[in-house]
Order: sequence, then C-alpha cells, then structure tokens
Amino acid sequence: MAATTAPSTPTPALTFPRPIFAAVAPHPFLQAHLSASKPSKAPLRANTRTAHEFRRVGVNTGSLTHCNGSTVVRLGNTSAVCGVRAEILREEDVQGTTDYASSPDSSDDELEREREEISTLRLLVPNVELSTGSTPAHIPGSAPTSFAQTLITRVCSLLLSTSLVRLSDLRILYTPPSNPEDPDADPTPQLKGYWVLYIDIFYISIDGNVFDAAWLAVLAALKNSVIPRAFWDEDLETILCDDDPKEAHALTLRGLPIPSTFAMFEGKREWNESGEDDHEVDWVLSDPDAFEESVCRERVCVVVDCSSGKKGTKDGIVRRVEKSGGGVVDRETMKGLVKRAVDRWAEVEKAINGKP
Amino acid sequence: MAPEAVLSHLNRADGSATYTHNGYCIIGAVNGPIEVLRRDEIPEEATVEVNVRPAVGVGSPKERHLETLLHNTLRSIILTRSIPRTLVQITLQVRSLPDEESSTGVSTSLTLLPHLLHTALLALLSALIPLSTTVTAVLIALHSTKDSKAPAQLVSPTANELLRAKPIRSVHVFAFSGEGKMLLNESDGAFSYEEWDEAAESAEEVCCKKDGGVGLGEGMEVDGREGQNLEDWLRNVVRTKVAYEQRWKSAK
Repeated sequence: MAATTAPSTPTPALTFPRPIFAAVAPHPFLQAHLSASKPSKAPLRANTRTAHEFRRVGVNTGSLTHCNGSTVVRLGNTSAVCGVRAEILREEDVQGTTDYASSPDSSDDELEREREEISTLRLLVPNVELSTGSTPAHIPGSAPTSFAQTLITRVCSLLLSTSLVRLSDLRILYTPPSNPEDPDADPTPQLKGYWVLYIDIFYISIDGNVFDAAWLAVLAALKNSVIPRAFWDEDLETILCDDDPKEAHALTLRGLPIPSTFAMFEGKREWNESGEDDHEVDWVLSDPDAFEESVCRERVCVVVDCSSGKKGTKDGIVRRVEKSGGGVVDRETMKGLVKRAVDRWAEVEKAINGKP
Repeated sequence: MAPEAVLSHLNRADGSATYTHNGYCIIGAVNGPIEVLRRDEIPEEATVEVNVRPAVGVGSPKERHLETLLHNTLRSIILTRSIPRTLVQITLQVRSLPDEESSTGVSTSLTLLPHLLHTALLALLSALIPLSTTVTAVLIALHSTKDSKAPAQLVSPTANELLRAKPIRSVHVFAFSGEGKMLLNESDGAFSYEEWDEAAESAEEVCCKKDGGVGLGEGMEVDGREGQNLEDWLRNVVRTKVAYEQRWKSAK
C-alpha cells in the first residue's frame, strides 16, 4: 500500500504499516487505494467497498418498550436509535385561534396549509443526541454542538418539506351527537387537541453518513408508530386515550423519501509520480465513512422518493438536494448522483419494509 | 434592482460590509487573520468561524445550519493554507427582513442564504483575506402555472413575488465560483432532475455568464449597461472601493 509514497528504489525506512500510513497521511492513503488497483477491476476504497457501493442497511423495529414507535438503524459502524413518543397538546393550550378545515384533498395548497400548521404548532419535535464515546470528535457533557444542531435542522426541515406525517393523523377530533345549531344537519367535528410527536435520535456510534442514518431511523420509527385512539369525553371534559391496542392507529406516511449521501474525494496530482497523467482525478464516494469524511470536503445529499413508481429524470421524484464544500460536482455529475440515489432507494425500501 | 453594498464602514473590524437587496439588509464583519484558540487551531490551515445573528432573538438551530453551510462554502474559497494557525472570524448580523418574509411558505433559511453569502464575501474582500475565487449566489423558485404543465421560474424573487406565486413547488439556492463551478446548492420541494438542471442553468447565467446572459431582473442597470450579471456587479463594487481608496494616488 505504501508504494505510492515511497520512491521506486527499495528503501525499507520509508514504508509504513497500513494503519500508520492512514494516520500520518490520510489523503494519499485513500488516493493510493483508489488509484492502485488494476484497470480491469473497479478501484476499491480503504474500506473495501467500490466507489459506488453503499453500506447495507440494517433496520430493527420496535426495540424500545415505552415508545409509540422505535427503530435501531445500522449503516456499517454507524448506528442510531430512534424513538417516537406521542403526547397530547390540548386545544386550549394552543396559542391563537386555528382555523380548522377538514378538506381531505391533497392539493399543493392544502399541503402547504398543513405544513404551516405543523410547523407553527411544532407538532413534530426531532432531537439528536450523541452518546459518550460515539465519535472521538464529540466531547461529552457540553451543550449540543453545532454539528448536532445542524443535523436537527436538516431532519426537521425535511420532515416538513416532504409533508411526511399527515395532519389528519395528529388531530384529535370530536363529533358531537347532534348539531347544536341545526338539529337536522349532520354534526360537524370539533378539534379538541393534537398529538405531538417527539422524535429522539440517539447515536450509539458514528462512522460517517450521520444524516442518512438519522433519517432512515426516523422514517422507520414513524412507519412503525402506533398512536392510541384518543377521544373527547364529554362528561369529564377532557381527552382520554383508549387502552385497547386494537383501537390504536398506525401513522400513514406520505411517500418514502430516502436520502443518499456522497462525498467527493479530490485527487491531488502531487503524489502522482507518473508525470504524463496530468489530469485531476476526482472520485464520488457513496455513503462515506468517518475516515473518508475526514479527507473529503464536498458533500452532496440527494433525497429521492420513488414510491409513485416513476424513476425517470423527468419525473418529480427529487425531494431535496444539498451540496456544499466544493465545486467538483457539476450539473452532469449530479445526473449520475440522482440515478445512484434512485437505485439506492429500491435497496433501502426493501430494508425498511422488512423484506429480505 | 441590483443589490446595494457599502464596504469597510465599521472602523473597528478588519473588514466589513452592509448589503441590501430585496428588503434584506445584512451587516457583515470580518476579523482576521487573528490568533486562534488552542483547541480550534489547525496546524496547516486557518480556522474559519462563521456567526450568524438573526434579526429577532438569539440564534437557534436554524442559524447553526446556515453557519455550517456558509462555513463549508467559505472554507473552500479562502486560501486557508496560506494563513495557517490563524482564525478568520466572520460575523453576520441580519438587520432587517422583508415584511412578507414569514408568510411566503418557503423555508426562510433558503431565502436568506444567498444574501448571507454575498455579505460574507464582500466583508472578506474588505478585510483583504486571501481568496482563491469569488462566489455569487441566487435563489430560484419554481411555481406551477395554470396554463402550462411545466413550472415557471422566478429568478431572485422578492418576498412579495413569492407570496403572490403561491404555491411554490420547489426552491433552489445555487452559488457559483468566479470560474463557474457550482460551490453550493440547496434545493427543497418536489422536482425532477430536468427542472433542477434548468434552474441550475438559469442560476449560472445570472451569476457568471459572460456576454448576453440574462440579467438579474428587468431594471438592472448600472453605469448604463443592461443585462449585468452578479459577477459584474461584484466587480463593480470592488472597483468603486479600490477607486475610492486610490483617489489620492490617482489625483494629479
């Protein structure tokens, strides 16, 4: 492995064992990996994956007892636990008046109104916690780092912009036995409260690609969340919950948006001793691990939702693109990344829906 | 309307800029290169620190997210290796937002992001921090129209335009370097790759297309030249600043 740093003459003093090479010169180490293999074979990264290869997703649902829904998601050595807990927000505790409209259509207008209601009432509350020792970069006992806060913001805004959770699942309605104004007309349902979903993400260990792990954990946990039947009791004038698990309802999510994160590894020419091969080489690494993230500056995250069955470039399947840190990915490269994200979607969909 | 910029007006900071565009007003200050805390010191590079202060209240996770995006973008254009073991501190204070800002239904961090980037760049230029390139950014909103199936583009819309074009299908923020490389992209909503590609193309034209590019808005006219792109605008701002500083030297 160390052949690229050492000159061609055999000088044993300049060859390092693999872990030391990786620690001393991480960038040349990865470049040596990616450019060393034979042209017939696809180049392998330091973690023995090819550049396009994602890690396998492991999803384990319902692992926590005292949650409405929970999952443990593993992406290689990154593992995250997500627990969803539903709590009741009473209507009288809601600030201001809320116009309650029960139109069930899902036009753009309606979605936007729902999004506004969920965001102003804060019905979805994600939180991220890094456990002690999950990553060397995290110092325990301090306030949430900007890393964690950024992650919360990204999860929260994706939850809102994809309208993943239906407002109708979160509303607690009460239909009076008769209409007080007009006894002949059908009674109109009244809004008595909301369910607030507290979504906590806890990292057991971090080995790169935290956002994908967080989002998959949230997605799988919400998919498996069961909310007890809540009803308004007229005599007690309060909201009660049904104890019978058969009466509880599962959340019906809108679509299945799945993120794929890529890191751009910019090859440097200084280490290429060949001379003639003077063009810059860059690699787009799917699902980077912590070591690769430390040497790659540019990240791209593409969120796609192919649950409608379409997969072409003309179909509106992209939910979000986030790219920052460098200028390697241009419009043409992005096309390939969207395709890779679509392929990844099918793979992850199987894991989340529990198919082998 | 072209953005307005005032450079080097805070005399206690190493560099500063106030930027006003479409009802957004942001003050940026840069201190650097200064001494860095031992904990943040990087042996071969300068540390870049970005602080974003909102117009109302104290910073929230939303501001941390913006800071992370700005940090990643600015770190890629500042020549951090030429000023190792120092700190470049960028503080951005949002002074005012347009009145309709909160009711547009579009993520407020996306609408603010291009303006923050421009302010930060101008402040860095004013502080004479070594940069490898410039950066210009633009917001593009796609909204559905009644007559055609394809969504219509709004290039650098004001908050009022966004409000009237409701519902917005997707919003895109693009930032391009001086050489036309895409440095940052944040897209949100539901869209196809083709729509994204078209949005990226128009953003590139607004930011850095030479000759015959589409200008920013209709009435954009500086020095009598129409169809000016953001990079020309940036050059113009810097030219004015340098001309002002050299006025004694050039006076005969």
